[in-house]
Amino acid sequence: MADTMQTVPILEVIAHHAGLKSFLLPPVLEAEPGQFVTVWLPGVDEKPFALSGRRPHALEITVKAVGPFTRRLLEARPGDRVGLRGPFGRGFSLTGGAVLVGGGIGNAPLRFLAQRLDEAGLPFSWLAGARQAADLPFEAYLQRDPRVRIFTDDGSAGTAGPVTVGLATALASGPAAVVCGAGPEPMLLALREAARRAGWRAELSFERYMKCGIGLCGQCCLDGSGLRLCVEGPVLDEAAMQGVTEWGLPHRGPSGRRPSAGPPSR
Amino acid sequence: MSPHLSTDRHRAAAGDRVTGPPTPPSLAVRLAGVTLASPLVLASGVMGLSASSLERVAAAGAGAVTTKSCGLEERQGHPCPAILPFAHGLLNAVGLANPGLDEMAAEIAAFQARTPVPLIASIFAKNEAGFAEAAGRLLERVTPALLEVNVSCPNVASEFGQPFAADADACGRITAAVKARARGIPVAVKLSLQCPSLAHVGRACQDAGADALTAINSVGPGMLIDIDVRRPILANQVGGLSGAAILPLAVRAVWDLFQAVTIPIIGTGGVTRPEDALQLILAGATAVGIGTGIYTGGLELFAATNAFLADRLAHGGLPSLDALRGAAHG
Repeated sequence: MADTMQTVPILEVIAHHAGLKSFLLPPVLEAEPGQFVTVWLPGVDEKPFALSGRRPHALEITVKAVGPFTRRLLEARPGDRVGLRGPFGRGFSLTGGAVLVGGGIGNAPLRFLAQRLDEAGLPFSWLAGARQAADLPFEAYLQRDPRVRIFTDDGSAGTAGPVTVGLATALASGPAAVVCGAGPEPMLLALREAARRAGWRAELSFERYMKCGIGLCGQCCLDGSGLRLCVEGPVLDEAAMQGVTEWGLPHRGPSGRRPSAGPPSR
Repeated sequence: MSPHLSTDRHRAAAGDRVTGPPTPPSLAVRLAGVTLASPLVLASGVMGLSASSLERVAAAGAGAVTTKSCGLEERQGHPCPAILPFAHGLLNAVGLANPGLDEMAAEIAAFQARTPVPLIASIFAKNEAGFAEAAGRLLERVTPALLEVNVSCPNVASEFGQPFAADADACGRITAAVKARARGIPVAVKLSLQCPSLAHVGRACQDAGADALTAINSVGPGMLIDIDVRRPILANQVGGLSGAAILPLAVRAVWDLFQAVTIPIIGTGGVTRPEDALQLILAGATAVGIGTGIYTGGLELFAATNAFLADRLAHGGLPSLDALRGAAHG
């Protein structure tokens, strides 16, 4: 049972930018794009991460410094052992004609999706957004691929402006298919709306504080529907997003209390 | 003969006894004055943080739902891993994470505004006075169908001292203190196996006025060690054991309590299949808690168990679960 803990040595660390690295890990489990695994740093904590790629002999996760846990993980070196559990939840479907839309570190799981779409011979385009170039993982790879358009808020890479600027063109460019999104919730909600207007399906990857990954602790149950993001998500389609009343609100923290304001931390 | 044929024959035999239009058997049970449409109760600690989560479990077929245990102050709980599956169940050390009584009261109110399924509010505290205060403060704000007093969380010992559950006199005092503040709402005490005599503790709670007993809490605590990093895996090192591994302990606990007390028992522990719920009823449980079982069985476990119990009643020509409760005692 892959939900049990397996510890593995880090095989390789790839630095993208300051505070943004990928880690290659032995493939002791398999996951689909958008599903997540948990990474345990013994003596520190355990957090969920979507895979950013699958190589012949390694799983890849990509980590951005956003809190105490990720800062500790970013100090890890090849040979250091981390615990892995998973895969958990539901990921993206593999659909031809998909438009991938990523915000910042949200582009990491989309890279795994792009990899699987390529393997399946399915065409796609990718709008890769970030606040600035330094927040964009795999920037060189993204710059090379003609299917990718980069957007940064400050214009330090690609086109200046929000990633949603490129969306209308992308949605008008082919027959209706699916928008696959990962990134900040306001971006995801904008994608949901745009997809609905254009008659496209949406598959959007949301985040919440999680403790168990197996649908028991209740931390990630969404208000309105009670949907458990760790089991029925984290990638939700329009039907699964229905009835949820907490979109755009601050996330429940480790105690289960929803703060009145402020960003979630991990 | 295949089990299937034997079942068909049983059904025919039961049908033969029925005269006139058959009355569908009822799964309804009376628990400390509260009517549950099904004996299945969502156990505390699972999917119990928010109204929407509890509503979803109620819609899945639970006859009552229990909130996550809630205390006077907000608690973040332990770091992760806090819930750890292994081959025969789960080890958990969530550490009584909860948003605090006031936040939980708002969730309870939201639940009760939208669904008639009875809600059991679970509370914990550090000491007798704390239990009384927690009960008082919560019941000033909301009116749950039952109040469950968690005297037995096994994974916060270093902070809270020995669980009260090990001490019959302490359990009795807490029960009396909560009852005094309960505004007439029935009180269930959630017991632990970590005591010299469960029957003795159960009687002490009954004598102090408890209206029901919930047995058992998770067992242990236990520990799992990663053999490569050579450290305990749970951040809290130790945690309570739940799931299939503890079913025999729960069945035995309910059996012992059924002989020791007259108040109803919410038999909880290790139910991962419909048949397990019936075992607890045969041992003497009025209601049956399901928690960890959701991990392997999904929320569908509630509907599947309801269907199984209804089928058993129909096959046996029994109008209700009353005839099965404690039937294993002969």
